[in-house]
Amino acid sequence: MDYGKPSLADALAAQYVAGTLRGRARSRFETLLPSHPALQAAVRQWQARLLPLTGALPEQAPPARVWRRIEQALWPTPAPQPWWQRLSLWRAVSGSALAAVVGLAVLVASPPPAQPPVLVVLESTGAAVVGAGSIVASFSGDGRALVTRTLLPVSLSSDRVLELWSVPPAGNPRSLGLISANGATVLKRDRLPATLLKGGTAALAVSVEPPGGSPTGVPTGPVVFAGKLQL
Amino acid sequence: MTNNDKQERLDWVDWPDKSRELAQLMARCGLGDRAAFARLYERTSGHLFAVVLRIQRDRAQAEDLLQEIYVSVWKAAAGFDTARSQPLTWLTHIARNRAIDSLRRAQTQPRTESLSRADDDDRPDPTQALASDDPGPLDLLSRAGDKRELTQCLERLTPPQRQSVALAFFDGLSHAEVAEHLREPLGTVKSWVRRALSTLKSCLDRASLRDSERAA
Repeated sequence: MDYGKPSLADALAAQYVAGTLRGRARSRFETLLPSHPALQAAVRQWQARLLPLTGALPEQAPPARVWRRIEQALWPTPAPQPWWQRLSLWRAVSGSALAAVVGLAVLVASPPPAQPPVLVVLESTGAAVVGAGSIVASFSGDGRALVTRTLLPVSLSSDRVLELWSVPPAGNPRSLGLISANGATVLKRDRLPATLLKGGTAALAVSVEPPGGSPTGVPTGPVVFAGKLQL
Repeated sequence: MTNNDKQERLDWVDWPDKSRELAQLMARCGLGDRAAFARLYERTSGHLFAVVLRIQRDRAQAEDLLQEIYVSVWKAAAGFDTARSQPLTWLTHIARNRAIDSLRRAQTQPRTESLSRADDDDRPDPTQALASDDPGPLDLLSRAGDKRELTQCLERLTPPQRQSVALAFFDGLSHAEVAEHLREPLGTVKSWVRRALSTLKSCLDRASLRDSERAA
C-alpha cells in the first residue's frame, strides 16, 4: 500500500484513532508510523478531533493499589524516609528498651519519690560509625532535668559530636543538646521543653553531627542510638 | 449535559485548558520529578481509567493496563513535545491504544468462557454489560456534543452512522462487532463509520477554522 498518498494516509489514521483499525492492519500501521511524517501528522489531527470526545465519560477513580503498583514497578526500593518516621526502627528497639526501662525504673524508684524519674535506654541502631553499646537517658520526674550516660565508650572521630533529640509523635525532632561520647552529660535545664514528658516526646535519638551540632535544626548525620519513651 | 449530572468528567470545551495545566506537570515528569508524576496521576487517572474500563470491561485487567500505561508515560515523558500534542490527548491515546491491544490479546488466548455461552457473541452485548447508571455510547456522544459546534457536526450524521461510530469509538468494538451488534452487514457498517468520520472531519475542521478566524 502506498501510505504516502494523502487520502489513504488520512483514512487509515481516522480508523486507527477511532479504534476500528484492528489486528494485523493495526500493528502494520503502528510499525510504519515512526518513519512516515505524513501519517504522523494525520494521526495527530485525528487525535485532536476525536479524543476530546472521551471527556464525556464519567471519571472512574482507580483503587489505591494501582498507584502503589506503579510506584513499585518504577522504583522498586521505596524512597528513603527520614529516620524518625521509620516505624520499624522503633519496633526494633522498643522491645529490649522496655525491659531495661522497667528494670532500671524499679531500682531507681525505691524509695518512691513523688514523681519517679524516667529512664530511656537508647540502643545502638547498628550504624557502623560508632559500633555497639547503648546510652541511658534519665529524666527527673518533672522532666526538668536530664542526664545521659554512655554504657560503653562510643568511638567517634574527633571532628564529630553526638546530639540528642526529642522525637515528637508527629513532626520534626527537636534538639535537646550535645552529649558526651564517653561518660555522663547533664543537659541544661533551660534547653528542655516543658512538654518533654507531657506527650511531647515519643522517643529519644542520638545522631552524629558536625562540631557544634546540626546546622539545620534537624538531624543531618546517621542516627546511632534510639529508644522509645515509655511512661 | 443535564443539570442533575453530578459525576465528574471533562468537558469537551475544557479539554485545551486542562491540557495546558498538565503540560507543566509533563515537563517536570520529563525531568524526573516524582512529585509531579504523582500529581499527574491524581489529575488524570480518573479519566484514563474510565477510558480503559469502557473498552476493557474486566476490572482486574483494566487495573493492570492502567499500571502499564502510567509506567510507560513516566518513561516517555522526557520525549513528550507539548508543541506537537496536548498532554491529555497524548495520555488518552496511550490509554486507548493499550485497551484496544488488550482486546486483541484476549482474542488470541484460549477461550475460557463456559460452553453454554459458546454460541454467544465474541464479547457480551456492550449495552447489556453496562451497569444501569453507565451512559450508553450514544448518550456519551450527545454529552460530548454539549458544545455547540460539535452538536451541529453530530447532527449531520444519520442515526445509524452516529450509533456505529459511538459503539466503535467509546466501546472499542471492531467493525465486525458493530455489525453483529446492529445486525447489519459488515460492508454497510464499514461505510457508515467511514462516512461518519469524514463528515465529522470536514465539519469540525470548518468549525475550528471559524474559531481561529474569529480569534484573529
